[in-house]
Amino acid sequence: MKAAGPVPEKTEGEAPAEPPRPVSEHPRPPRLLRGTVSLIVALLVVVASVHTVMVFFHVAPRNAVSQRYGEQIDAWVYPFFEQDWRLFAPNPASANVQISVKTRQEMPDGATRESDWFDLTALDTSAVRHHVFPSHTAQNTLRRAWSAYVDAHGAEDVPHSDRAVMLRDYLRNIAADRVAEHRPGPFDAVRLRVETVPIAAHGAQQVSPNAVETRDLPWWEVSQG
Amino acid sequence: MSTHNEQATARPVPSPRGVGQSVADPATEPPDTPFGALRSVLTGRARHLYGAAVLRVGYGLLYLVFLLREFPHRDEIWGPGSPWTPALTRQLFDQTGWVSVLTLSDSRLYFEAVYALAMLTAALFLLGWHTRVVSVVFAVLVASFHAKAIFVTDGGDNLILLMALYLSCTACGRRWSLDARRAKRRAAAKGHAAPVPPGAEAGRPGLRQQLTLCREELTTALHNCAMVVIAVQVCVLYGAAGLFKVQGGAWGNGTALHYVLNLDLFRPWPALSSLVDSHEVLLTVICYLTVLSQVAFPFVLFGRLKYPVLGLMLATHLSIAALMGLPLFSGAMIVADAVFLSDGAYRWLAGAARGRLRGRRRPPEGVDDARPGHDAPEAAHPAGTDHGEPVGAR
Repeated sequence: MKAAGPVPEKTEGEAPAEPPRPVSEHPRPPRLLRGTVSLIVALLVVVASVHTVMVFFHVAPRNAVSQRYGEQIDAWVYPFFEQDWRLFAPNPASANVQISVKTRQEMPDGATRESDWFDLTALDTSAVRHHVFPSHTAQNTLRRAWSAYVDAHGAEDVPHSDRAVMLRDYLRNIAADRVAEHRPGPFDAVRLRVETVPIAAHGAQQVSPNAVETRDLPWWEVSQG
Repeated sequence: MSTHNEQATARPVPSPRGVGQSVADPATEPPDTPFGALRSVLTGRARHLYGAAVLRVGYGLLYLVFLLREFPHRDEIWGPGSPWTPALTRQLFDQTGWVSVLTLSDSRLYFEAVYALAMLTAALFLLGWHTRVVSVVFAVLVASFHAKAIFVTDGGDNLILLMALYLSCTACGRRWSLDARRAKRRAAAKGHAAPVPPGAEAGRPGLRQQLTLCREELTTALHNCAMVVIAVQVCVLYGAAGLFKVQGGAWGNGTALHYVLNLDLFRPWPALSSLVDSHEVLLTVICYLTVLSQVAFPFVLFGRLKYPVLGLMLATHLSIAALMGLPLFSGAMIVADAVFLSDGAYRWLAGAARGRLRGRRRPPEGVDDARPGHDAPEAAHPAGTDHGEPVGAR
């Protein structure tokens, strides 16, 4: 094996070329040191190879390998190298999700007062409109909070896991923060209505109102007014 | 790739080998074992330094612009006032194993300080100032911000995080950086007598010099491995995106883009989106081209076909940036694709840009490199230095 000669990266980018040095001048690290370097290089190669294989099976569509070695793959990839490149695949969403919120306030006499619906998605859409670089708060916050909520809850609105509770609280906080920012007045509960409006196929004129799916969520108490 | 140092600047089209930098250099030491060959390829010379520099500048700039753009929304996304509260963040970290410097304190002041530090770090990373240390800090901060706002991220943030992590293992500050400028000045000050390889002054090198040599071999190997990982990561990204698309009916029948163009949150210019949407035939063609180019991506990288495909990718991402209002995502993808241009291509581009700046006056080929202050350092290494290096081993 070789000893490093005039270390190239030290002189690259600098001064003029230098003739190759005679053999005798080359330092030759002792065997132990060279062995250690070889060992580390071998380790690097192994880690790099394992990493790329793990990442591939992590992102690839479900297959025999990722099912059988799922645990090992997850252990390697999570949390830092988690990734998902489905990007509008297998099929892009064929509907727009419209999320509205209403608030409720309990009066001192025990009666409750409900607000009318406030369109949260319209806020996002108008923040995106005519903007070269829309904010993540408009494109991602509510959209991803809702899809994460659906992933954790399914069709029911009763949380069956810690994660579901967390995502419910998150969605509630977003709704409460945004409605509080745009409508004055205290409230002690919020409720969401989520309408899924299909995108008409090419050529089809309009989507019939019957095609719109509405999901009414329960009231959620909020701690801050 | 840069095995042809002497020709690199003269040739507009670089060697077709592309990512194949790992191909053994015929001029290097004839190794006794396959591992010996691999070892000398990996430790011999840091490859693709311009590509690494472009990634550094690209991601540093993107992150800086991102932090500036979200400055008014910083508390909502990452701060203590976010709907994803510090308590929820910690609870999720306990489940997932994530960590973030942002959860060390919930004070507003601390958050603002970290935010300022992140902007400063992105700027320093982009400039290449003490890059090795700054790149690690950059990776830590990008990971911290990503983890704190994990439910606000998209593919662009994800890619920037991965690249920040990988780049901290590379020597991405050796070209087009403040570090490179400093090194050049230092070398110029020393004059021609200067570059003596460490350990060569005395007949018997000391342990310290030997350790320095070993360290340099290891950082070179780490850099080369990280660059290969980055290239493979981009291939995996496109490969997976393509594999998922071929499973989908909408991509199969060419209607996918119609739906993409009608998503309200990704329609910053509704009139433009509708205009594009009205060209059904064009959309179908682009739809199939997208799927084909993504699936084919890893396979075209080893030939000249990679240039048209990279051009196609560039066009795709520019359209996504404009039409869908996703400049951060598109920027991250474009910078990632830039890893596939060879150092020769970058030197040629830099030379062309410089020529343009100087007006029409074009120096004859090759002259450019001999000029002081020109940063095409590989030109300072006639084949002899680079490839004669391993002679000392035998």
